Amino acid sequence: MAAVVEMQGITKTYRSGSGARTVEVHALRGVDLTIEQGEYVALMGPSGSGKSTLMHIIGLLDSPSGGSYRLGGRSVEGLSEVELARIRNRRVGFVFQAFFLLPRLTALHNVALPLVYRGVSSAERLKRAKAALESVGLGDRLDHLPSELSGGQKQRVAIARALVQEPDLLLADEPTGNLDSRSSEEILGLFDELHRQGKTIVMVTHEHDVGARAQRIVRLRDGRIADGGHP
Amino acid sequence: MNPLENFRMAFESLWGNKLRSFLALLGIVIGVFAVTAMISLGQMASAGITQDLEAIAGRSIFVQPNFNEGQNFDSAPIRDEDVAALQVLPVKVLPQLFTSAQYESKPGERRSITLQGTPGDLPRLDPTNKVARGRYFTQAEAQGGLAVAVLSDRAAKDLFPNRDPIGQVARLFYPNGGRLEVTVVGVLEPPSGLFGGLSSSATVYAPIPLIWNTSPLARKGQYDFLVLSLNKGASAQEVSNQVRRIFEGRYGKGKYSIQSTESFQDTLRSITVILQALLGAIAGLSLLVGGIGIMNIMLVSVTERTREIGLRKALGATAGLVRQQFLIEAVVLTLVGGVLGVALAAGLLVLITATVPFFKVFILSPTTILLSLAVSALIGLFFGVWPAARAAALDPIEALRYE
Repeated sequence: MAAVVEMQGITKTYRSGSGARTVEVHALRGVDLTIEQGEYVALMGPSGSGKSTLMHIIGLLDSPSGGSYRLGGRSVEGLSEVELARIRNRRVGFVFQAFFLLPRLTALHNVALPLVYRGVSSAERLKRAKAALESVGLGDRLDHLPSELSGGQKQRVAIARALVQEPDLLLADEPTGNLDSRSSEEILGLFDELHRQGKTIVMVTHEHDVGARAQRIVRLRDGRIADGGHP
Repeated sequence: MNPLENFRMAFESLWGNKLRSFLALLGIVIGVFAVTAMISLGQMASAGITQDLEAIAGRSIFVQPNFNEGQNFDSAPIRDEDVAALQVLPVKVLPQLFTSAQYESKPGERRSITLQGTPGDLPRLDPTNKVARGRYFTQAEAQGGLAVAVLSDRAAKDLFPNRDPIGQVARLFYPNGGRLEVTVVGVLEPPSGLFGGLSSSATVYAPIPLIWNTSPLARKGQYDFLVLSLNKGASAQEVSNQVRRIFEGRYGKGKYSIQSTESFQDTLRSITVILQALLGAIAGLSLLVGGIGIMNIMLVSVTERTREIGLRKALGATAGLVRQQFLIEAVVLTLVGGVLGVALAAGLLVLITATVPFFKVFILSPTTILLSLAVSALIGLFFGVWPAARAAALDPIEALRYE
């Protein structure tokens, strides 16, 4: 099996403050992490452990201060902003805690949005978006605005938006954090289903029962991987 | 990504925020409206002035002695032989003679009036003179120096209040006490247009030889003033130069002033152009204010849509595409404002043309429209650059975290 994520010695250092009072914050102190294709991994750790930073680096929203990172077998070191945007668009599907649906677009157009940046024609975009929404069970909500959907339905639209990209990696950041227990169960069931279909999923969470659904739990502590860095 | 997608997104986003978009572009609407209306009104005024001048003076060249250099009136008269020399040019020569006279408004009270000597049949030679009632005296009557006269509209009212002047005898007095009695054969129409008021003096028109024979000041064979009415197709500039050469050849430089209605028109036009530029610049200030309004709204919009920008970046939008999106929004906003402004201005111009007699023709040139639209688009571009740059520079992580 090919590795989707291969990280070696990843560090991330922020500077905060200014002048003589500059403080260096070490968010990641050397992370080695491998995630194989088709794996369902939960990224867990207390707040301040660096799990958000690690997720941002995995998703190419942030770049590491040191170490090497290969996404889908390709090194992302030294890539330009434009190339990173392109890889995000093609290889990474994000699912956020707060859904981040554009309020004035229908479910269908929200899902089609990533394909706009890929230059897919309008008709083709809507066709694929419709299929993605149907795959998450929202075939009857295509023309609803986000405000007309329940929390669970919004998150399913967001998942459809990630799926329409056909990414190498689904990156979910506390996807059930804003949901009641019934909707949470619904969304976690959907992730289980996606896992069965062979999707690679990385889910950031601090809830143990959510983490327990994953195939493997990666535990972060103080910017290092405490447990589960390799399959 | 196809830039047209960004245009579509811009329209969607602006349409989704109708009230704010409308308020934002209001400043541009007013600015473009003001600039377009000013430029067009200037052009319409220019056209109105040209038309009015032609209505009262036709296309003519005026020759008169130059009084500017301290010569007295007799130093440079216009003689019969000068008039003869001008006959070769493509003009109709209308020599004129002016003298002042008085009439008795009430027994014992005398008032001044202009006595003007003209050739016969003046309305035929110079169509800007129109007979309202009666007739103009004929060539034969003029050459014979018969005691006949035509009155200007004002003169008719002054000399014969509440009476039909035709057939009446007008009694005039020269400053030295000499008397002149003429029979009125016609009354002219009052001059029209903006300049009508200027030329509506009380004037008695009489045959030139009659004045030569009776006025103590006039000398036989000499004129005060020549109107050269240009034939169709003759160039005012060229003929003016020819006239100048003839007079300079005979009398030397600077003795006569030679002006054409076109030179008056040029002067008036250059004044309107200056006024137009001035008013346009003032109107342009409102465009500037409108542009700052757009910048303000765009900055608010960027702040408000921080999360949207973060999301778009996470989904694969580059900084360049985000910048393009916001620039296009600003340009679409100002361009729509420009279109509305031009439409409003067109409405106002139609209204003005319909209601104000001076503005006879509706002018809204394609150049003005294009210029207004181009300027509004440029304002969007200029004032959109900073907000768009701020949007493009947002860090997606920060933007997604933004509450």
